[in-house]
Amino acid sequence: MSAPVLPRTPRQRLRSEMWRHRHFYLFISPFFLLFAVFGLYPLLFSLYLSFVKWDGMTAMQWVGWANFLSMLDDEILRRAVENTLLIGMLYVPPMLILAFLFAQALNAQWLKLRALYRAAFFLPCVTPMAVIAVVFGLIFSAEKGVLNFVLLQLNRALPFLHLQPIPWLTNESWSKVAVAILVIWRWTGYNMILMLAGLQGIPADYYEAAMVDGANGFQRMRHITLPLMRPTFRFCGLLSLLGTIYMFDEIFVLTSGGPGTSSTNVGLYLFNISFNDFRFGYASCVGYTIATFVFIGTLILQRRNRREEGSV
Amino acid sequence: MRPQRTPLQRTIGRTCLTIVLSLLALIFLFPFYWLFVSAFKTQAQIFTVPPDWLPHPATVRNFVDLYRETDLPRALLNSVVISGGHVLLSLFLCSLAGYAFAKFPQAPGHSKLFAFVLGTMMIPGAVTLIPTFLVMVKLHWINTYWAMIIPGAAGAFGIFWMRQYIGANVPDDLIHAARIDGCGEFGIYWRIVLPIAKPALAALGIMQLISSWNNLMWAFIVLRTRDMLTLPVVIYLLQGEMRTPYGMLMAGGLLTALPLVLAFLLFQKQFISGITAGAIKQ
Repeated sequence: MSAPVLPRTPRQRLRSEMWRHRHFYLFISPFFLLFAVFGLYPLLFSLYLSFVKWDGMTAMQWVGWANFLSMLDDEILRRAVENTLLIGMLYVPPMLILAFLFAQALNAQWLKLRALYRAAFFLPCVTPMAVIAVVFGLIFSAEKGVLNFVLLQLNRALPFLHLQPIPWLTNESWSKVAVAILVIWRWTGYNMILMLAGLQGIPADYYEAAMVDGANGFQRMRHITLPLMRPTFRFCGLLSLLGTIYMFDEIFVLTSGGPGTSSTNVGLYLFNISFNDFRFGYASCVGYTIATFVFIGTLILQRRNRREEGSV
Repeated sequence: MRPQRTPLQRTIGRTCLTIVLSLLALIFLFPFYWLFVSAFKTQAQIFTVPPDWLPHPATVRNFVDLYRETDLPRALLNSVVISGGHVLLSLFLCSLAGYAFAKFPQAPGHSKLFAFVLGTMMIPGAVTLIPTFLVMVKLHWINTYWAMIIPGAAGAFGIFWMRQYIGANVPDDLIHAARIDGCGEFGIYWRIVLPIAKPALAALGIMQLISSWNNLMWAFIVLRTRDMLTLPVVIYLLQGEMRTPYGMLMAGGLLTALPLVLAFLLFQKQFISGITAGAIKQ
């Protein structure tokens, strides 16, 4: 090996340092190679596509800002954004509350069979959506579904509630609720695990000190657990919002976005204009615009979080 | 201050809580139960009102029909090859890069490159979907295993995950000693780092297995002919425009879900630690 004796200039020194660490660059090169082909190039090409009209077959046609302008009149896009927000509002709060309560219960030392409960609540996260959404389709079936059967039985037992069978998948409002229920079932366990990690991160002596001071369970929850869990709640909320925007499998299989477009979210809409309508230019434009808004929104939220946490 | 609760009150409270929790657990498990029993029912039994909580008589017709009418063994083979290939390749590439980022901190540009890797996690797949599909067309990878295995094989999360574990668990002295003994850099990775990193590899492997096995959208886009489809796509396509054979669908669904449920139950601990690590990074 002919190592250079004494590197003179900084540039030479850098070069010899890089040579000395050549295995480092070799070992990380697969990532950069794959990213260049399947990440960076698509990212740039997608930006270019945002300014063209193209169906993937015929010649591309440069249209300038026309795609961005047509987004303003895109009625279905507006509905998809609305649906995304509505579905998010329907499921995120109950899911996070449920996840927190589960985590709180699983964190209690007296509870027996904790691993069993944890597995039961978490199992939905690992099952293929293509399968389970069909099962939910059966459960939600209007005339012959289990859920409406249970509602009818409940109504017989408690007539004053005036419960009626619900057209889960055929009504424009209920289809969103059906999606929300499926998402709650699927993702509560995941959030429960994150919350459990958050709870276990709270030092035990905080609680011990509070007990010495005579704080009861309610006060401990209010003054220790909830304030210290705020970052976890925020993180889970942010993840869920992002998940709702780009959610695909759940809606694709359960409702296909219907009836009409009543449960089409942004993710499914993007898929439809890309691979059903083959509007590659317009779809790239929508994708980029949404991603930009999401990115800016995420940055603002995270900055605010950091500031608030810094001041606590 | 409220008076302390008596032991009796506490026992009653805890019992009530346990009952509520058990009921909720049963509700969460119900869809699995329904999948399981429906797989052994006839189409008519599936739609009886009131519902049959148990299939009587139970039938295996659905499984037979499924075997006759779809190319199930082939779909299973496709799923196994794709998921297996994806898991093995990503374990190799992520641990190799993770080891580099963990143990070569003096390499010029180390921290900037690592920040770049983490930054790529911010890119949503929805933006790159169409061009990535076009890349597949150009590479002639449409309707091949490559399209399913290669693109996500060196994910930023996997690299981060392996770096954290290797950084904390592989002693520097061990690496130095091996180097002095004349072991090559790849030999150090292969013979020293990998055996120590086995728990982290198991966790990453199960995470990759689940996402790869369940992948529906990408498979739907790039796989075209019947003989290349994976299990979830076959299941999805069984839903007809007019009449859906629900019994067959449930039987196929059961076979698709079962390997993952078993894998999860076996590697539960590793999988959950992986999720928690993913969150702490933020």
